[in-house]
Amino acid sequence: MSEEKGLKPIKIEDLLQRTVYDVDEDPHIEIIDERGVPKELTMLCPCSCYTTVGEKLLYSYEGCLECGLCRVLSEPWGLRWEYPKSGRGVQYRFT
Amino acid sequence: MRIVVGIKWVPNTQAVRFDPKTGTLIRAGVPSIVNPHDFPAIELALRLKDMYGGEVIAVTMAPPSATQGLEHVLGMGVDKGILLTDRKFAGADTLATSYVIAKGIEKISKEIGPVDVAIFGHETIDSSTAHIGAQVASWLGWPYVYYARDAKLVEDGKLRVTRQTEKAVEEYEVNLPAVVATAIKALKPRPVRLSYKLRAKIEKPIIAWNIEDLGLDPRCTGLKGSPTVVANITWMPEVPRKKIVYTPKDPRDAARWILKQLFSDESVAGFLKKALWGEE
Amino acid sequence: MSSQTPTKFDVVVVGAGPAGASAAYLLAKAGYKVLIVERGRGAGTKELFGGKIYAEPLRTVWPDLDKEAPIHRWVTRERISFVKGERVTTVEFKLGRKVAFTTYLTEMAKWMTNKAVESGAILVDEVRVDEIIVENGRVKGIRSGPDTIEADVVVDAEGVNRILLEKLGLAEKIKPDQVALGVKEVINIGKKAMNERLLLDEGEGLAWFMVGDVTAGIPGGGFMYTMKDTIALGLVLHIGKAYEAAKTGELKHTVPMLLEKLRTHPFFSKIWGDADVLEYGAHMTIEGGLRYMPKKLYMPGLVVVGDAAGLLLNTGYTIRGVDYAVYSGKLAAETIIEALESDGPTEENLRKYEERVRESFMFRELVKHRGIEKVMEDPMFFTKLPAMLNILLAKLYEQDYEEPTVLEALLDSVKESDVSLSKFMLKLFSVVSKL
Ligand SMILES: Cc1cc2nc3c(=O)[nH]c(=O)nc-3n(C[C@H](O)[C@H](O)[C@H](O)COP(=O)(O)OP(=O)(O)OC[C@H]3O[C@@H](n4cnc5c(N)ncnc54)[C@H](O)[C@@H]3O)c2cc1C
Ligand code: SF4
Repeated sequence: MSEEKGLKPIKIEDLLQRTVYDVDEDPHIEIIDERGVPKELTMLCPCSCYTTVGEKLLYSYEGCLECGLCRVLSEPWGLRWEYPKSGRGVQYRFT
Repeated sequence: MRIVVGIKWVPNTQAVRFDPKTGTLIRAGVPSIVNPHDFPAIELALRLKDMYGGEVIAVTMAPPSATQGLEHVLGMGVDKGILLTDRKFAGADTLATSYVIAKGIEKISKEIGPVDVAIFGHETIDSSTAHIGAQVASWLGWPYVYYARDAKLVEDGKLRVTRQTEKAVEEYEVNLPAVVATAIKALKPRPVRLSYKLRAKIEKPIIAWNIEDLGLDPRCTGLKGSPTVVANITWMPEVPRKKIVYTPKDPRDAARWILKQLFSDESVAGFLKKALWGEE
Repeated sequence: MSSQTPTKFDVVVVGAGPAGASAAYLLAKAGYKVLIVERGRGAGTKELFGGKIYAEPLRTVWPDLDKEAPIHRWVTRERISFVKGERVTTVEFKLGRKVAFTTYLTEMAKWMTNKAVESGAILVDEVRVDEIIVENGRVKGIRSGPDTIEADVVVDAEGVNRILLEKLGLAEKIKPDQVALGVKEVINIGKKAMNERLLLDEGEGLAWFMVGDVTAGIPGGGFMYTMKDTIALGLVLHIGKAYEAAKTGELKHTVPMLLEKLRTHPFFSKIWGDADVLEYGAHMTIEGGLRYMPKKLYMPGLVVVGDAAGLLLNTGYTIRGVDYAVYSGKLAAETIIEALESDGPTEENLRKYEERVRESFMFRELVKHRGIEKVMEDPMFFTKLPAMLNILLAKLYEQDYEEPTVLEALLDSVKESDVSLSKFMLKLFSVVSKL
């Protein structure tokens, strides 16, 4: 985490706790073929939705901020990417 | 078939946070949602309508802001929304709430047409009492089945309700009208549809009834009609997580290690012993 | 569906953002049957931006903007800080007049959409449009799940991700170099503390752009805007370059951690201390407007507005997207009204929308700043220049006995920040000429 002295850093899970979600039962994003999804998303995805376990890239959609970054960096065959349905997903209030 | 489904407009509890400084709950700016456990009830109601025709009427006792929640379920295919709303309903416990809802259902039966089934979710995420279905059934004097996963009509106009408990799948046949409460996650809800939502926006099939419309005695509603007294709330202390990584040799080793960890905590050990072997 | 519910509208607008809301408002006001379809739960719930909106283009649509809109503060001070480690060089400008205001786009989009609804447009929210329907080379309407709605004209105001436009073949797959990722935190500092610490009067606002270390070597910058009683703090990062840096391992922190470092930066964090973070979010934006523009902004029965049309000016230190979106919505509405009053939304008639865009201030500015993204991608601008400035001032001020001349200090700092002076002057000139 941050090496700066003084202020306490906030963990990403705790940060995402401040953002409101109405999580859908179905994932709106799914890895179809890992080879078409870059591992760098573990660094770049703003909600750290992507993690690697060993060589395997894992994804969990619950904290997704719907920015579209992973769609841009992935091959169309690598990822099924949709906006959530029925108004679900992130619910921004003060942005 | 005329099916009433009860919904509740609840704060999205995921978004309710502790203020790290004051230690109180931050509720400001937390948007409300349709109680997630109501969706299996809505889905069951819509399936019954798909099979037997008729209409689905969503009922909620809430302030006018709950109109947004009614619009959401109208978007799923519910035909009408009824908002039971009055300042005198505020502060109600489950008894006063179920009373108003039961009276609402009676009024629907009288003015819109006889209600065959009233369906509720298992419980709400903001109070977790699971009372409403049972209480409405008892106010109305209708049979009640809960933990329902499915329902269909059978001979003699009875409703066969499938109920799943821990060990068995049970089927009940009840005479109509009846009250059903669905189990959590029993059915996956259908999405909001453009055509339904548009119909809701144009036809605005939402009716609001207040205490006079329902002809109720204010002594029986809201805070006044609520015998429940909340004596005290104790918040669960947050238990800091220990970060322990153990690389087991094999599954057996892993299981042994986990058990050892669990039994090393006195309170967990006591609980486990009681649960596993009935020891005190 | 009951007979009352229409399945055809004059105009269907996809997306209740600034672009869609402005088009819908003007069309509804002119008496057309308008349907707005928005995927979020109410307008604004999927919106995130920096924080500053230029007012004048919005006044051309809503003359009562200043009185009615949810304006938080008028920007009276602009600051730029060049950051190198703990050293920070700041330039502050006090504006002579009110040009732009701060707000939440979540509130603003809701306000604009309400204006459209008050004028008779119908808003259907919680519904995602899945496809723009084309028949015989002409847009016929939209599809969402099993439902279709016909329209004389569809206004595509879906924003930067433009999934529908890609499906339609009017836009290509987005390239990482065309877009930037914005991350933002909203900090609950409170009005009093903010006004005291930033020396602001009631209703006055500060816009702050930070360049240098804050983006860890990735082109982009940090931003801070004062809202009514909160602070919007964020980063904008060039996606193509961030991706490269992640691949080579140069990027040492995750994106949320970079923002974390900015919030806890010993200099900047003095302002908000450990005030609570209310919300965190992310959204994509456009790097270079012209490069993002689709081949055509129209086809029979369709016009494309706002971000989806690439109509956004990103100069590196300012993003103008909301006013461009609103203005493009206005040009679209004017064209559609003309078309529907004559022989319909034909290729010929809707071409006038693109012509209007090309004649507008938006296109003029985009052309003028063409290539600015290339300059901004140059490490000279976002790493070396901030480093040099800070070393220069350190040479001048961090001295116990010596007092170097400015020239000495300048030459030293140029050397130490690994900049060749002639190249630097050339670069500086090219930056200045494009800003
Ligand atoms: C980090 C960041 C900082 C920025 N800072 C500023 C700034 O300070 N000032 C400024 O003027 N601009 C700024 N911008 C740019 C500005 O936010 C955009 O240019 C502007 O919001 C574009 O408006 P729009 O209406 O075209 O699209 P959007 O605002 O993106 O609206 C699109 C709408 O369409 C909806 N939608 C999308 N797809 C569908 C679908 N399939 N079905 C139904 N609905 C759909 C979305 O939910 C959304 O509501 C910033 C952007 C970012 C990311
Ligand atoms: S859309 Fe953005 S926030 Fe969601 S998973 Fe992809 S990169 Fe992460």
